[in-house]
Amino acid sequence: MTRKTRGKRLVPVFVLAAGLVAAACGSSTASSSTSTTGSGGTSAATPLSVEKPPAATLSETGSTLLYPLWNIWAPAYQQKFPQVSINTAGTGSGTGISDAANGTVDIGSSDAYLSHSQLSSDPTLLNIPLAISVQVIAYNLPGMTAHVKLNGTILSEIYQGKITNWNNPAITAMNPGVTMPSMPIVALHRSDGSGDTFIFTQYLSKQNPSGWGNSISYGTTVQWPSVPGALAENGNGGMVSGCKHTPGCIAYVGISYLSQLLGDGLNYGQLQNGNGNFELPTPTAVAAEANYFTAKTPANGTISMVNGPVSGGYPIINYEYAIVNSHQQSASTATAIRSLLEWAISPTYGNSSQYLSQVAFQPLPPQVISQSTKQIAAVK
Amino acid sequence: MTVVGGDAGGLSASPPPNSVSRLVGSGRADDASRSPGRSGLFRGAARVAATLPLLALAGTITILTVKALPSIRVNGLHFLTGSAWKPGSTYGATVRTNGVEHPLGASYGIWPLIVGTLQTSAIAVVLAVPISIGAAFALTERMPTWLSRPLSLAVEILAGIPSVILGLWGVLTLGPFLAQHVYPLVADHVPDVPVLRYFRGPTGHGEGLATSGLVLTLMIVPIITATTRDLFRQVPTLPKEGATALGMTDAETARRVTVPWVRTGIVGATVLGLGRALGETIAVAMISGAALNSVSANIYGTMGTIAAAIVTQLDSAYTDGTGFAISALAEAALVLAVITVGVNLIARLVISRSGRLTAPVGRSG
Amino acid sequence: MDRNRGRRLWELAFRLGAILALALVVGPAAWLLVGVVAKAAPHWRWSVLFTPTTGASGGLANAITGTVVLMAGVLIVAGTLGVLGGIYLAELAPARRGGKQGSSVLRLATDVLSGVPSITLGFVVYIALVLGLHWGFSLAPAVVVLSVMVIPYIARSTESALAQVPTGYREGAEALGMSPGYALRKIVVRTALPGIVTGLLIALAISSGETAPLLYTAGFTNSFPQPHLIHTPVAYLTYPVWTFYNYPSNEAHTLANDAALILVVLVLILLIGARLITNRAERYSEGTGR
Repeated sequence: MTRKTRGKRLVPVFVLAAGLVAAACGSSTASSSTSTTGSGGTSAATPLSVEKPPAATLSETGSTLLYPLWNIWAPAYQQKFPQVSINTAGTGSGTGISDAANGTVDIGSSDAYLSHSQLSSDPTLLNIPLAISVQVIAYNLPGMTAHVKLNGTILSEIYQGKITNWNNPAITAMNPGVTMPSMPIVALHRSDGSGDTFIFTQYLSKQNPSGWGNSISYGTTVQWPSVPGALAENGNGGMVSGCKHTPGCIAYVGISYLSQLLGDGLNYGQLQNGNGNFELPTPTAVAAEANYFTAKTPANGTISMVNGPVSGGYPIINYEYAIVNSHQQSASTATAIRSLLEWAISPTYGNSSQYLSQVAFQPLPPQVISQSTKQIAAVK
Repeated sequence: MTVVGGDAGGLSASPPPNSVSRLVGSGRADDASRSPGRSGLFRGAARVAATLPLLALAGTITILTVKALPSIRVNGLHFLTGSAWKPGSTYGATVRTNGVEHPLGASYGIWPLIVGTLQTSAIAVVLAVPISIGAAFALTERMPTWLSRPLSLAVEILAGIPSVILGLWGVLTLGPFLAQHVYPLVADHVPDVPVLRYFRGPTGHGEGLATSGLVLTLMIVPIITATTRDLFRQVPTLPKEGATALGMTDAETARRVTVPWVRTGIVGATVLGLGRALGETIAVAMISGAALNSVSANIYGTMGTIAAAIVTQLDSAYTDGTGFAISALAEAALVLAVITVGVNLIARLVISRSGRLTAPVGRSG
Repeated sequence: MDRNRGRRLWELAFRLGAILALALVVGPAAWLLVGVVAKAAPHWRWSVLFTPTTGASGGLANAITGTVVLMAGVLIVAGTLGVLGGIYLAELAPARRGGKQGSSVLRLATDVLSGVPSITLGFVVYIALVLGLHWGFSLAPAVVVLSVMVIPYIARSTESALAQVPTGYREGAEALGMSPGYALRKIVVRTALPGIVTGLLIALAISSGETAPLLYTAGFTNSFPQPHLIHTPVAYLTYPVWTFYNYPSNEAHTLANDAALILVVLVLILLIGARLITNRAERYSEGTGR
């Protein structure tokens, strides 16, 4: 109990530290500063110990956004605990959820939390936040150096085919001082089912509840309106390479792909948040948004962190989840799962910027760490 | 991944149609059945092995039908005629229709996917047949062996390229090339008249109907070429020599003697290539844009096929906790199976009439 | 005169058309092969062959061995069943009245199965074995789906090879007093062996290049194949091509290109091997005055 209250008191300090760390982009000094703050604050700052696992083989499958991180995590964890071997696969969030539910894998990973219908058919499933991911809105406007300001209403009208040109009055009015080119907009969406689609359509639904929210709503696949010229792309990589080849395109892309999209000559926009400000996906803006939702995150981790009414918050962020069945058949597998997940969310290990900065993810806030710790402890 | 006709794989010496050996063989089979012990055991095992494909086929159709039942009960005929793939609000309330629980607003129609499947396959067949027949002529008529052997091998290699590699090449190399250099040229110069109008309009960036059709063409051309080449080799020399003696040119011999001689075989190979084009998955998923709800407005636009939708939507379907989306995918797989099985049955019918092609052709990946 | 000129022009057009058509087949094949090599060559490291994948970097040794294990499984399962089925269809199936070939239903089912899209088969095996029997992503369901795909091919190419064994061989064996079973084993199957082996090699080429049915049966893993039939995923070479080209890191793209090159080389070896066997068999049979 005391641990939890102390943890809460430390929240602002941590968010700041997290922001700084990420801003420094994971240089070695930055990562050591995390651990100093962590151990220097109080012992409660690292409230979890990583259990010593028995010899076991764990399998993970699911989110392709989380897959690169698992591939960084798994070897590092195995270096510490060579008795555990880990199989990872990127098959998509839906498969991760479903395979964790039916026991095909030990850990599923998902960009989206469990739906009501999933929880009612598999009440023993847990969705445990592991890290925070961010989505950027990328576009291909040759010569445009400014970060174009956009909001959910404009984006939803683009994806419905109501706004078709970059110099549409609605866009120019939002971007005073920026000369918007006369160029047709090509809206890209994901052809495969995706957690990226889930959070993007959540943003559209929340910003434009009467339009998009009413008619299309959100999900890992939605019924995209049929817009002439609109393109469907496979995976985040497909979004980036499709956008690269299509001047005038707009696409939603996971932040792990930021350096790739900048290298391909694309740029990304400022998004209007629930408070009306326009923000770039900087670590500070992400931390502000995460901070707002931290207090609201329920014990089971199920929350949408999109479009928060926070000044200075970037509006499309989400928890990346581990989907685990709390009733494991073997006690040793359960111990190994707990150990791996405890390691993953620990600020000293898996949640340190040493690993997260490689995929541009943000660490969990301390309160969420302690909530995740409790959920992990329930895996038996 | 492709299989060339069994013969094309190398058994290019002509298989004697329903040879005498089989009659002799069946006579011996009766002897074998009388003798007990090892050969009886062998015969039994062989019989079981020969029955497996029938069981696998029946099992496939049964499992798909059972899994598709909820979707059939809710979507009805609308599944074939409707044009919206609507998973509904998978994160909202669930409702019941005809006793089947599903997310609110969920309804599935695969008309655009059926159209896309037929369009891409039609493009592939229309282009592949003349190319294959021409290439088979070039390989068999008046080409020295030292040249025709390696070129023949090249055709077989093209047939052996895994479809995921053709897909990757299509999306990274061929598509952008065509979109930059070829499509705009065609779109600007085609007259604005009915039918050809379909070739005008925005040309996109290389993912879509035209590129998918062209890559499928590349996939089925080696199948039809190799089979046709083997058929041409079966045409007896005498009638061809006779035609030449009558003063016919090669072109006339081809038109009046060689092609009519093997016409049914070519038709069969074509329909088999069509079967493969209908079922191709990975390459089309990479190149078509894998759209779900739209039929392309012109020949360059993005679209989707049933097979591509199955592989791209399976993951998303699992976020539907009621299992209704999976059921809809099973029904889509069932529709695809029925279409391809139908095409194959027609092909077998044609071939059994011609009695010339004895090995299966066509495989989809 | 005019008519003759027209004919000559037509003849010329025909020749050119045929050569153009051949170029349209061979040209893209060459373009594609050169493309695959050109993409992989600049970053090629031999260590790729010996290092397992660590995430989306490292090497491909796990996927290479996984593909080899899958092919071995296919060779054992589909090879046995396919060849047996082919022998049955060609030699053992009872004849029907009117001298018509028996087992036409089995033959039809074999042919029709060979046309069922692999994604459909993969979906069914996923539902029935991976989920239904709780086998999980593992070797067994992957080998089952690949075998179901290629058994029709092996059976029909075996049948076709047996049908080409000259009648004289059978009659000779019978005249020498060999029992039918002995003659089948020692004379007929042995003579048809090159054809059967060719069919097997091509079937292996097919199974090594499959992606769609494996995505939902084999899973993927960074480890080498384990001696477990179920519950343990297996890596395979088409997975990095399909997945890694879509990744943010350059290492992942390099691995995708390397995997494509290795796959092409593998398929080339199998197909050229099949072609060599056939050519030798042809020369041999020509030599014996067939």
